[in-house]
Amino acid sequence: MTADMPTTFFGWVVFIINQYGGALLQGAGVTLLLAIVGTLIGCAIGLFVGIVQTVPITERTNTGLKILNRAVQFVLAAYVEIFRGTPMIVQAMVVYYGSMAVFNIDMSAMLAGFLVVSVNTGAYMAETVRGGIISIDKGQTEAAMAIGMNHFQTMYTVVLPQALRNIMPQIGNNLIINIKDTSVLNVISVTELYFASKSAAGVYYRYFEVFFVTCVIYFIMTFAASRILRYFERRMAGSADYQLVGDPMADPSGIFPNGTKMGGK
Amino acid sequence: MTTEKKKPILAINHLVKYFGEREILKDIDFEVGQGNVISVIGASGSGKSTMLRCINLLEMPTSGDIIFEGKNVLDTSNNIALYRTKVGMVFQSFNLFTNMTVLQNCMVSPVTVLKRSREEARQTAMKYLEKVGMAQYINARPDQLSGGQKQRVAIARALAIKPQILLFDEPTSALDPQMVGEVLEVMRELAEEGLTMIIVTHEMAFARDVSTRVIYMADGVIVEDGTPQEVFGSPKHERTKEFLARFTQNT
Repeated sequence: MTADMPTTFFGWVVFIINQYGGALLQGAGVTLLLAIVGTLIGCAIGLFVGIVQTVPITERTNTGLKILNRAVQFVLAAYVEIFRGTPMIVQAMVVYYGSMAVFNIDMSAMLAGFLVVSVNTGAYMAETVRGGIISIDKGQTEAAMAIGMNHFQTMYTVVLPQALRNIMPQIGNNLIINIKDTSVLNVISVTELYFASKSAAGVYYRYFEVFFVTCVIYFIMTFAASRILRYFERRMAGSADYQLVGDPMADPSGIFPNGTKMGGK
Repeated sequence: MTTEKKKPILAINHLVKYFGEREILKDIDFEVGQGNVISVIGASGSGKSTMLRCINLLEMPTSGDIIFEGKNVLDTSNNIALYRTKVGMVFQSFNLFTNMTVLQNCMVSPVTVLKRSREEARQTAMKYLEKVGMAQYINARPDQLSGGQKQRVAIARALAIKPQILLFDEPTSALDPQMVGEVLEVMRELAEEGLTMIIVTHEMAFARDVSTRVIYMADGVIVEDGTPQEVFGSPKHERTKEFLARFTQNT
């Protein structure tokens, strides 16, 4: 190492990017992977829990089902409360070290990371999905039931598509939170962006410069995520315009799929 | 009951409905014959809508029987979803599915519930959308339509499952006055074609001109039940007279 050491802030920034850019980007990749997979699995968990929590129990439901439902609801409520009510950094420690101590499972740090992020996101998403479902006008459910749909069909074709559209901003929120909060997984040595930054900073004791670069990388990731999600949101809202159909009976292919003929933006 | 000669397809016996401590329906009895067009009139809060909602079990009756085609639909063995495909419903607030186009609204039940092929469901949906004059709008979404258009689509959606009876819960109450006519016109046509209908309505002229029978309800009981001529022309009960008098004053 004969080269002169940089003397200015930007000199250091350039130096660090040259030296550690690859390592930081790799860390950023791990962060993104954890955040995206964790959010997706979390959404799946949340969707499942949210749907089960809104299963209607009427006076016609038989007693066995009622008792089973009570038990399931208790377990799900406990899950949501516990994982929302404890810090993810602590959950990471408990899962990573606890799996070894209690179950004798030698879990990789990465696997523990996926697990913690997914389960944590699931607990928040469960509440979001539940909120999304109960926010749908009761008339929609009634209309679906009035044309003969059962609970599952009503959920699948009418309520969930609308609820999902409404909770898209919240899913985006969760993704962004996860991109940032996976940084706590450094405590179990997951080599995500924060962990990579800390290692890089430690070599030359240039904490400010390294974390300045880290900051920029985090922001680029969250900003890109929010823009991409906004795009999906707009697409889900559907076309703002529609075409009148002159003689629909004459052209059966013109109705489905409504791809090319639909106007609007 | 009054004028039916045919065997009833729907019979309501001793229907009682409580909401908590409040008794909303007190011992309702009536029969519906094939092709009857029954208008149910009465003040707000008289239990008209609750009775209608009990008929297709959106509200569970507290006690009583609902006999449809000879079977009690309140038996625990009865498949409620299947029963509902035979008793359609049109709501005051339309309740079109906002995540679907007009055509999809009319196809979703035939496809997912009745397991018709998409092509068959599409043909049926188009037939009824044509009938209500909305065939041009199949690609529109509900929030792009006016109230009257929405309600006509809702009627087509209900007809697409080919119900034996169609229930209307104040179908024109949420509409601007100029849109009421287009919906009533569709309903008049259906009545002339012999569809069995029960219509909760405040449109007295429609009730008088179109229905084969008028039921006047007050405080959860059926006060008067007869032909339009009987109920509007020579009401037997004091309360019916008062209600109709107040109504003619107000309009």
